Amino acid sequence: MTEAARRLEPGMGGELELRDVVSGYGAISVVKGVSLHVGPGEIVALLGKNGMGKTTTLKTILGMIGLRGGAISVDSVSVVGLAPSKLAALGVGYAPQEQPLFQDMSIRDNLRLAIASDRQLPAALESVFGYFPFLKDRLAQHAGTLSGGEQKMLILARALMLRPRLLLIDEITEGLQPSVIDKIASVLLNERKKSGVTILLVEQNLDFALKVADRWAVLKLGQIDDEGPAEPNERERVLRHLSV
Amino acid sequence: MLLILDIMTTAAILFVVAIGLLAIFGVLKIINFAHGAWLTIGAYCAVVTAQLGFNPWLALPLAFLVGGALGGLAELFIIRPLYRRPLDAILATWGLGIVIGQLITLGFGRDVQFTPNLLSGTVTVLGTDYSAYRLVALAAALVIGVAFAATMEGTRLGLSARAVIMNETLARGLGIDTARVRLITFMIGAGLAALAGVLLTPLTSVDPTMGVGWLIGAFMLVMVANGSLLALAIACLLFGAAQVLISTFVSPILGSIAIAILAALVLRVSPKGFARA
Repeated sequence: MTEAARRLEPGMGGELELRDVVSGYGAISVVKGVSLHVGPGEIVALLGKNGMGKTTTLKTILGMIGLRGGAISVDSVSVVGLAPSKLAALGVGYAPQEQPLFQDMSIRDNLRLAIASDRQLPAALESVFGYFPFLKDRLAQHAGTLSGGEQKMLILARALMLRPRLLLIDEITEGLQPSVIDKIASVLLNERKKSGVTILLVEQNLDFALKVADRWAVLKLGQIDDEGPAEPNERERVLRHLSV
Repeated sequence: MLLILDIMTTAAILFVVAIGLLAIFGVLKIINFAHGAWLTIGAYCAVVTAQLGFNPWLALPLAFLVGGALGGLAELFIIRPLYRRPLDAILATWGLGIVIGQLITLGFGRDVQFTPNLLSGTVTVLGTDYSAYRLVALAAALVIGVAFAATMEGTRLGLSARAVIMNETLARGLGIDTARVRLITFMIGAGLAALAGVLLTPLTSVDPTMGVGWLIGAFMLVMVANGSLLALAIACLLFGAAQVLISTFVSPILGSIAIAILAALVLRVSPKGFARA
């Protein structure tokens, strides 16, 4: 089976393994030996205060920041040194936090960018219209004219257009009202159920993380400080890590 | 009528000369100071086509292919390591232009080369006899402009290029092969420059330094256009009109420097030039 065919097969892997990962900017290492396993079809929330290395960890997985030490693999295959374009071809999707949309492009073009060929577009669009029907009638609208919540839904829709086996999501709930957060939680859980996608979720919203994830891990000063199952009785334990 | 036709065809020629530079500047964010050398390469493709006895129009596709291929090599081996060092890229492309000029001198000598007219004679436009070839240049500019806009708006390559222009980091994060987009864009820009070189052959003398004079005007126009195709078309029309009017009614010497002076004035008032003006 070709890589492309594997990518489109629901429930096919997406297992992520980080072993002693070190990375950073310039002379400073921000991620200092992170080891984390996300099993196939599992949702893991990576929590932590600002500046602890959560986004840097995601960018390192994506190859946007060079790996200084350790190993990263997807489905037991090393992805170290792979360009982001190669990772996307292997079915690794990304919903970024910083400047996440092409504001001056239409919604349609923002969504087109997630897939490799326009031949896949009708089917891919239909798959995300099921989750976000408002997109269907507004494809020609510029992304920058959407409300904050709608923009976040567009970011998630674009990541799902790829039909990823592994999805990396960076603080998707930041600044959103509870109803939109509930909608996003519902979409992620439905998509996992439908396609078996594996998700690594960087979050600051503890309630959302515990609702969606199977497990959590707290990143502190570039290292995993604690981890556990995402159950309601874990809330106080996690909060102790996140309190100032 | 003659004046209007002169203005329109001059604007068209400026547009054809500058569009390759605009493509490269828009996506790669570097000024290709070897652009003049690619114009010269195109013109010498016309010379070679004539020497081999082929139909002179064949020089157009030949120049696009040769210019694009050489542009690809230049991007891979010279430009690519310098994207994070734009000042070094300016020096490198300037030096590359000099090297290409010297290589052409080695191969063809310093003498002016002659090429057959792509189209001779005049046609009557609203009672005015006018150069058929200059009208062809106007049509060529329209075709190239529309094709370029259609590529940017209607193809996957154009979509990827627009994404790279707007936010390269995000484009990379979404899996766009930005290195490939840059390579193809440079090849297209270099190919368009060589194509422009062929179109210039009936209007200017062909020698190893012919591109230098055109480079300055193209550079000024691209700075004023700030990466926008529409702004480039407007700049070519306005500055082309100024060049024709000053040359006709004041002095041809002043007309030849009109573009540089006007561009400097526009950028002084509006640093973004005509883009989104």
